[in-house]
Amino acid sequence: MKQPIRSILLLAVLAAMAAGSAGARAAEPTTLSVFAAGTLAVPFKQVDQLFEKKFPDIAVQPQFGGSVKMARQITDLHQDADILAVADYNVIPKYLFGGDGKTAYADWYVGFVRNAITFVYTDKSKFANAITASNWYSVLARKGVEIGRSNPDTDPSGYQTVQMLSLAEKYYSSPGLAEKVLANAPLANMRDTETSLISALQLGQIDYLAIYRSDALQHHLKLLNLPAKINLSDPTYASFYAEGVAHTKNGDLTGKPIVYAITIVATSAKKAVAEKYVAFLLGPEGRKVMSDNGFGTFAPAYAMNPAKMPPALWPLVKPWPAS
Amino acid sequence: MTALAVAGLSLRLGAFALDDVSFTLPANDVMVVLGSNGAGKSVLLETIAGFHRPARGRIAINERDVTTLPAEKRRVGFVVQNFGLFPHLTVAQNVALGARAQRRARAGSPPVDIAALLRRFGIADLADASPLVLSPGEKQRAALARAEASHPDLFLLDEPFAALDAPARSQLRVELARFLRELRLPALFVTHDYVDVAALGDHLALMHAGRIIQCGAVDDVFRRPVSRTAADILGFENRLVGRVVSHDRRLAQVAVEGKFLRIATESAVPAAGEVIVAIRAENVRLLRPDAAPTNAADNRLIGAVVALEPLGALTKVALDCGFRLIACLMSRDVAALGLVSGAAVAADIAAPDAHLVVP
Amino acid sequence: MIAVPRTWRGPKSVGSSLVVLAAWLCGGVLLTFILLPLIQLFAVQTTGTLLQVAREADVRDALMLSVTAAVLTALVAGLFGVPFAYFLARAEFIGKSAVAAVVDVPLTVPHTVAGIALLMVFGRHGVIGGPAEDFLGLRFWGTLAGIVVAMLFVSLPYTVNAARIAFEGVDPRLEMVARTLGMGPWRVLARITVPLAWRGIATGLTLTFARSISEFGAVVILVYYPMTAPVQIYEMFLRYGLEEASAAAALLLVISLALFILFRHVAYGRGPVVGGGR
Repeated sequence: MKQPIRSILLLAVLAAMAAGSAGARAAEPTTLSVFAAGTLAVPFKQVDQLFEKKFPDIAVQPQFGGSVKMARQITDLHQDADILAVADYNVIPKYLFGGDGKTAYADWYVGFVRNAITFVYTDKSKFANAITASNWYSVLARKGVEIGRSNPDTDPSGYQTVQMLSLAEKYYSSPGLAEKVLANAPLANMRDTETSLISALQLGQIDYLAIYRSDALQHHLKLLNLPAKINLSDPTYASFYAEGVAHTKNGDLTGKPIVYAITIVATSAKKAVAEKYVAFLLGPEGRKVMSDNGFGTFAPAYAMNPAKMPPALWPLVKPWPAS
Repeated sequence: MTALAVAGLSLRLGAFALDDVSFTLPANDVMVVLGSNGAGKSVLLETIAGFHRPARGRIAINERDVTTLPAEKRRVGFVVQNFGLFPHLTVAQNVALGARAQRRARAGSPPVDIAALLRRFGIADLADASPLVLSPGEKQRAALARAEASHPDLFLLDEPFAALDAPARSQLRVELARFLRELRLPALFVTHDYVDVAALGDHLALMHAGRIIQCGAVDDVFRRPVSRTAADILGFENRLVGRVVSHDRRLAQVAVEGKFLRIATESAVPAAGEVIVAIRAENVRLLRPDAAPTNAADNRLIGAVVALEPLGALTKVALDCGFRLIACLMSRDVAALGLVSGAAVAADIAAPDAHLVVP
Repeated sequence: MIAVPRTWRGPKSVGSSLVVLAAWLCGGVLLTFILLPLIQLFAVQTTGTLLQVAREADVRDALMLSVTAAVLTALVAGLFGVPFAYFLARAEFIGKSAVAAVVDVPLTVPHTVAGIALLMVFGRHGVIGGPAEDFLGLRFWGTLAGIVVAMLFVSLPYTVNAARIAFEGVDPRLEMVARTLGMGPWRVLARITVPLAWRGIATGLTLTFARSISEFGAVVILVYYPMTAPVQIYEMFLRYGLEEASAAAALLLVISLALFILFRHVAYGRGPVVGGGR
């Protein structure tokens, strides 16, 4: 009598699976959807682990990608996100603040970490042994050197690279520097985000990659320590940074310090939970994870429109410095 | 001129094999190769056509050694089961392909008049038809026309009507025999149905397990199988096992299950050991048990009907006369004799109709 | 060619009408599943946006590049894939099922992974890419060649599989008969085998073209500029938003659809063809 036994076994397995999932559903945690820039992937995963240990009834569901792409997923594709963290603080007001008949998805943001734009390389890279923090711009301009960068029309690190190079021209009094370096970074070496090019660097397809300092440390890549005055890392140099310019399809963009910003999306249904997350990130535990991963931290963080923020977060921030 | 000469052909192809196959086919004659499935008949044909490389042996067509020639240079016409017409071309295009290809192969040969060829085979009105809508008879004519267009030296036919029903087979068999005679082309015809033999062949070769076990004129082979296997292939329904009791130059007495049969002999008869008596069912005459002796009275056996197998106009009657015997009669004669299961009956067998086979 | 027009090429009788009905219902569900998102995509378009997007040189260049690369991919797939498919259909050897399975592997590889693997082989230091650049001056990084390589990897199985099945459907005895008529092996392939297998081969090539034109993940690892249509659409989504990006997507769809219909008409001729090789 094989046929009935097989059916009974099958039913038993299905019942067990149903019971199992029902049991799991009984103790389902609250999910928190976090959209973040690709360069935040590694540190945020560490933050999430610590956060979930502190708050076991919360499950963080992060999604990483280009800053602009994540913003558009909220504004255009109407995807549900509770928190948005971007690599360039300008992305939040530009895409989420609304105005001009567009829906507002946020009305405040907090700049919580700094980064620096730099070039990374491996020991396979051309002239890896010869390049230093003083001669980098002439080495990068040499024939045969392949440099990768992200698309300035769509990605922050793309236009920040161009801005940094135009600042370098002034800093080193070397006119044409930007053009010579960018000649080795043709369109073929461009991608929509810089993190897509890391495998190309590791495979030797490109020799140098314009990327954030934090990525260099996370991926154990060699990096150039460029002067703070040009690498967009220090808000106190903001007025000098404004002299650097990137000509893009979206217009001319002037240099600003690289400050990562975070906000709670206005349409979130879990604002209380999101507040806990932001507080954790801005607090001592979050800051330690970020600085361990190569980001510069602000304590307290800078807030734009603090009055619109949840009051619980006020102690952790101070107003954005006027520049 | 010998149309086809095969000598010592041997090869192994998976489950099939050819084992030292040798025979010759005179010009303008047709040889039927008869054998059960798996005997290697198709492999033999395909090897002669040039699709398998023999491990040993030679093949000569019209006294031209073709053993190492590729298939397209051997000048054979190949007719396969269901006739192998190219379904994406019309009948005329099929036939033209045969002409064009051969003209390329033999530079300087005259162009073939396709229309005339179609008329000759009686398919002129089907020139623009698709092979898919033709009847089996029309397909055969088209396939033959196409093969003929390539001016072959030899025709090879591989059970072309194996998949057809009996009436179609009869019709096609007759037509094919007529065409082969008219075209005066040598042909090798492979089949597993011995009914094809009489209609088509001048020569008959019996094939079993990759070997030719008997070869000769149709009549000779047909009446005088040399072994039990040969008798099987030829469809001898009665193969009785017995022992030779005595013999002289003309007759032998064979004991079968206690009964004695008198058999005409032509060749040497073994004095001891088992022999097989092969008798065709239609050579067993059935009569009332008390009927007067007929001119087949060399052997008269008395028995009872065991079973009847109606086959349309004919009926096979199985009877027990000490051993099992099968007769084949017209169904009306069966009725006239009042044969039913259990009925007593007499069987007459003429001595020349019983054939001695040494196993 | 005699075509036999019928609405149902199967047995039709009492009882089988339920089967026919079920078949039509399933077909209806499936078509709705496919058409609904596409109709939605077209429905939200305004003629204004469509025209504006169509006028952009970037969009036209990207569409042109995608179509060109996909056609080249289909050609290469046909050139190498069809003979290989014939080999798979006819040859018997140990490990044949393993080889046939390997042909299908690209379908299971995640696109980004495929792209990186191709970069390893065709990149500057790759085992093919290095010599190609040094001796032939042929680069795959950021070139049409790179696009074709990425497209080919993900879409080749469709040609090989469809062609193989089509060749298996051609009775080898027909090829034998053709040879005895005096046709050499190459002529037999050209006049008998391929014409009889053509519908399957054409289906495979169409699928290869379709799959190629939509490929993003593998292509973008090797080639971002020049931008293929999917990459261009993605960039437009980032820069402008959904409206313009979906307008470009709608244009791509219209062009692809037109090309399919054209190709089907050219390749298959009119009406259904009955039978195929026996």
